[in-house]
Amino acid sequence: MSRLLSVLVLVGFVLLSLYPFAWMFFSSFKTNQEIYLPTQLLPEEFDGQAYRMLLDGKFIDFTGSLWQSVFIATAQALLATLVSALAGFVLAMYSFRSKAFLIGAALLIILIPRQALVVPVFEWLHWLGWTGNSFSLVLCGIASGLGVVFFSQSFSKLPVELMEVSRLEGFSPLRSFLLVIPLFAPSMVTYFLLHFALCWQEHLLVLLLLDDSSLTLPLALAKLSDVSHRAPESIGMAAAALSFIPIVLLFALFFRKMRTALSQLSIS
Amino acid sequence: MNGLPQESFRRLFPLLLPFLALWVLFWVVPLFLGVDLALQNPDSGFATSENTEIEYVGLENFERIISDPKFHKALSNTLYYVLGSVICIIPLAFVLAVGLFELPRLYRGTLAFCLLIPGLALPGAMSKLFYLFFHGREGALNQYLIIPLGLDPINWMMDPDFIMPSLVLQSVWRWTGVVTLFFLCALEGIPSWHFEVAKLEGMKSLSRMRLILVPGVRNLALFAGVFLIVDGVASFSGAYTLLGGSGGILDSGLLLVTYVYQVAFPGGSGRFDLPGATAMSLLVAPIVAGFLFSILRLRFLQTRS
Repeated sequence: MSRLLSVLVLVGFVLLSLYPFAWMFFSSFKTNQEIYLPTQLLPEEFDGQAYRMLLDGKFIDFTGSLWQSVFIATAQALLATLVSALAGFVLAMYSFRSKAFLIGAALLIILIPRQALVVPVFEWLHWLGWTGNSFSLVLCGIASGLGVVFFSQSFSKLPVELMEVSRLEGFSPLRSFLLVIPLFAPSMVTYFLLHFALCWQEHLLVLLLLDDSSLTLPLALAKLSDVSHRAPESIGMAAAALSFIPIVLLFALFFRKMRTALSQLSIS
Repeated sequence: MNGLPQESFRRLFPLLLPFLALWVLFWVVPLFLGVDLALQNPDSGFATSENTEIEYVGLENFERIISDPKFHKALSNTLYYVLGSVICIIPLAFVLAVGLFELPRLYRGTLAFCLLIPGLALPGAMSKLFYLFFHGREGALNQYLIIPLGLDPINWMMDPDFIMPSLVLQSVWRWTGVVTLFFLCALEGIPSWHFEVAKLEGMKSLSRMRLILVPGVRNLALFAGVFLIVDGVASFSGAYTLLGGSGGILDSGLLLVTYVYQVAFPGGSGRFDLPGATAMSLLVAPIVAGFLFSILRLRFLQTRS
């Protein structure tokens, strides 16, 4: 009986999660008038005109933005995974002088949400002359507090004896890192996905650092919904639906790995 | 120190170098620059403007910000948003995760993935959708929920009392699935002998919940809490697109980062107040960081004690 109830609640929530997406997808075929009636799910007739107009680049350079977003998010997430894994490994597996100080200082500063520091970051990059460049955008999100916490927690599950052995063998820290890292493939994939998702959504830094010629998806979509462009609503819906595909595919592909890593992380 | 191999910092340095370099480049330097910037006079030109006469005014910017009622509004709205999200999401996600955990393994993955999907969408893209859902009498929320309950339709976006709840609702919709996935994985990580013991002891489901399930998810609940707080304090895109860059009616939907952005880069008027905006960041950042740090100290950093 209680199982039936929980199934019903779950199904309800799943519908609640998916309904807006279904609505968004169907709305990309609707006329403006139909869109302003949110209770109507299906369009009168299906024609892919909105997609054609979107991909032709009549209002925004959608394919350009898509590649820009994919490039920035992939590059940043890959580098962030590597850098955080190295730092997390050292913090979890070794003790060295001034470790407590390093952890304290590094984490205290890095836990400041990046968006809160956005103005000085902008000033600094402006001074360096790095604004308008997607590489600076990739670089500035790599070091993240969440990553170090995640990896030092993951690596702390590794038996100390393994490190003893590698020390007796005289391995350098880098060599030991390379030895153990295959065991942590699920953790690396998980962090990659989390970072990718966060970077994919980044709006504010992109707004400040990139110029108009190379927008990422969140900005392109915001520009599209700007009234002055007079784009039909269905184009915004089509853009939202298309921008959603890459990240869902990525998560679907690695979902199993992610679950493995998360359940390892939780055992204490 | 607790059994970890001792190593000289010099030998570990190559592994830490990339992290430390980026840390200095993108956190430490901007922080110090920010302190410098916050002490300058916004009216007489500052570091990057053409007028290079820099004038220091001491703590004047901080005083100006502290006595700014809009800053108070933004601060309390952000607090409302963060606390509201955490308080709604974590218990809800726990209930959902337990529900999923009771199901056969076959369905768990699919359902959990469906729940995860809202977290992947771009908040900016969704806010257009939410605008239509919340908007006016025809909005889906009014049509499906409020009117059938026999209540008067709520004008979610225009009524100052309901802007913040609608932002919190959006956040709940986005993140509940992600947190549910965290919790589900935590429950699956509980060793199965715990459940066997519970069965042999003849434990009631309530004490099973209290003694096994809740401790099982505690680690990831903290992680999720940190994640939600960071995301909540930093949230910008959704509210910015939803309210068209303003704070909504009477600034009742003004969030902190939006206000920082508004002060720093006011549209149209062209009077950039970067020092004021920086002072605002510097007032809030240490509080958030210190708070998160003390949460983390609780559990995550005591590796192998």
